[in-house]
Amino acid sequence: MIDIQDLAKAFALGKNSKLSDTEKQDVRYSKEAFHSVRNVSFSCGAGEVLGLLGPNGAGKTTTLRMLSTALKPDAGSVLLNGVDVLKQPVKARQQIGFLSADTGLYGKLTAFENIAYFGRLHGMKESALKQRIDELFTLLNMHDFANRRADNMSTGMKQKTAIARAVVHSPKVVILDEPTTGLDIMTVQTVLDFIKGLKAAGTPVIFSTHHLDEVASLCDRVVVIDKGISAFSGDIGQFRALSGNGDLREAFLSLLKRDVSAEKQGVA
Amino acid sequence: MWQVYFKELLELVRDKKTLIFVILLPIFIFPMLFGIVGSVMAFTANKAKQQEHRYVIVNKEQAPEFAEALFYHKNFKQMEVSATTEAQLIEAIKQDKIDVAVIIPADNSKKQNQLEQVDWKIIYNQSSQYDFMFNYFNEVLQGYTEDLQKRSLKQLDLDERALPAIIKPVKVVKVDSADKRENVGEKIGAILAYALILLCFSGAAYPAVDIGAGEKERGTLETLLICPISRTALVLGKFMTILTTALLTALITVASLGLWGMVIGGLSKTDAVVDIVQSIAVSDLMLMFLLLLPTSAMFAALLLAISIYARTFKEAQNYISPLTIIVLMPLMVAMAPGIELTASTALVPITNIALAIKELMKGTAELSLICLIFASSVAIAAALIAFCVHWFQQEKVLFR
Repeated sequence: MIDIQDLAKAFALGKNSKLSDTEKQDVRYSKEAFHSVRNVSFSCGAGEVLGLLGPNGAGKTTTLRMLSTALKPDAGSVLLNGVDVLKQPVKARQQIGFLSADTGLYGKLTAFENIAYFGRLHGMKESALKQRIDELFTLLNMHDFANRRADNMSTGMKQKTAIARAVVHSPKVVILDEPTTGLDIMTVQTVLDFIKGLKAAGTPVIFSTHHLDEVASLCDRVVVIDKGISAFSGDIGQFRALSGNGDLREAFLSLLKRDVSAEKQGVA
Repeated sequence: MWQVYFKELLELVRDKKTLIFVILLPIFIFPMLFGIVGSVMAFTANKAKQQEHRYVIVNKEQAPEFAEALFYHKNFKQMEVSATTEAQLIEAIKQDKIDVAVIIPADNSKKQNQLEQVDWKIIYNQSSQYDFMFNYFNEVLQGYTEDLQKRSLKQLDLDERALPAIIKPVKVVKVDSADKRENVGEKIGAILAYALILLCFSGAAYPAVDIGAGEKERGTLETLLICPISRTALVLGKFMTILTTALLTALITVASLGLWGMVIGGLSKTDAVVDIVQSIAVSDLMLMFLLLLPTSAMFAALLLAISIYARTFKEAQNYISPLTIIVLMPLMVAMAPGIELTASTALVPITNIALAIKELMKGTAELSLICLIFASSVAIAAALIAFCVHWFQQEKVLFR
């Protein structure tokens, strides 16, 4: 169970940084700071998959980074199974598995070593670690390249290794930041199957994406972030209902339009 | 922390470039370069020593004994040229017909008989680094003048046994109070300190780039940050790795230089090198290592802070190159003649370490100053490590 309330995060701007014209139009820029995330709230229950949608630069990655404790929010709260991420970051981290499309591996280490390194950093015992990695290798069909160095792997192999690394400590929550962006079709399928597997095991998954077909096939809940504000949060049925004909693309676009018109009214 | 440390070391060991920089370079390539430069210098010096100098003497009939002595010297060869004036002789030297010309005045023997001083001239190209020719010339001339002096004394009815006392009433013998080690230490110590500190720096620089900026460039930093391990432990693990390679590079270099020195010393049977190596106590070496420890820690912390700030390898390298020059400056100061280790120079970072290593090599180090240097260096290193840890907590550094 993940519960997020009124999350906000601003990045200080350098004194000399000049804003471009397009940046000046963005409501999130003030003189001193860029308010990347202004007010994001949503929740995700056990066994649910939540799709995070939004245009580029909307604040999706910042939100997910705050969720995963990499960044500290300025305001708001994040509860992971009752653990306050802000107050007990180390305890929260033990429950989180995080993966993004550009997540790298240590090229000089083998698949096994890459995964084992993070397992050990999560404080796993050697025997349990070996057993768990063996389990994951079977699950993801990775035994063939277990001892190959990451430098010599194909993209698919790398992504499988990255997935195994993200869940080696059996996290209670899995966060994926655009996990399918820039990957080939086969590798995307591996990622999607993996999400399905997590869902079947009752692990909540939050992932951001630009692919609406992934949302349609996987998600129970949808959150749309636009200009740092959660413009929509609800289940997939409610999201579909936003458009007259149940088309997800139209539903998404109608949300953004509503946003723009609301702003114009505000200015007027 | 140790998990991070061992993993970083494993990665570095598997990297061929690290092996080249940390091990191959100091063990083989540096001694080889030193060896080549040394032997080339020895070879050219030897050649210059053996060289035969072509000469002419103008008016040699005025000093036949001298002309004869020069004729039979193995490093001189008489030539015949028509030139007699100074300008003509210079021209002949420029045209490479002769190497040296001696002009004896036409009234030489007449003046000598009247006990008057005569002026000779020697013309040769004096821009060469080795001036062995003039030494040989002086040898011959000295023998000739001594004979003349004896003859003159006889003419004056003086006992020729009084000659030394008349020519040189006071003879001074120089006795060196510095032992051999102090002399050699002064020369080798400065260069050794320079090489050691620079090697510590370069030994730290390469892995630092990989461990800091590399983590960002590969996209592994974010995953690392959300592991349930404190960022302090993360930094210290990385810091220890860099410190290890820095010290290792310096240690391997010293060991290999020592080893090669022994091998060459053994081959050429010069006991001087062996004597000096043996006169340096193990405790001196331990002190040197102890001084390099905080120095390497300073470098490691500083380089890690730079590297973790940089977004890419390239950016990190761009920051590190000017830093190398900044590190070189205090080393140059320490090598400058006249700079001694005092209570004030002991407080200049890096310079003090270089000076202390020199003193240790010379065997004249004051323990109180060494302690002061160690304490001040540890303080600076601790401050830099604290800064590096603080730096690593900053979001604006990690997510740029």
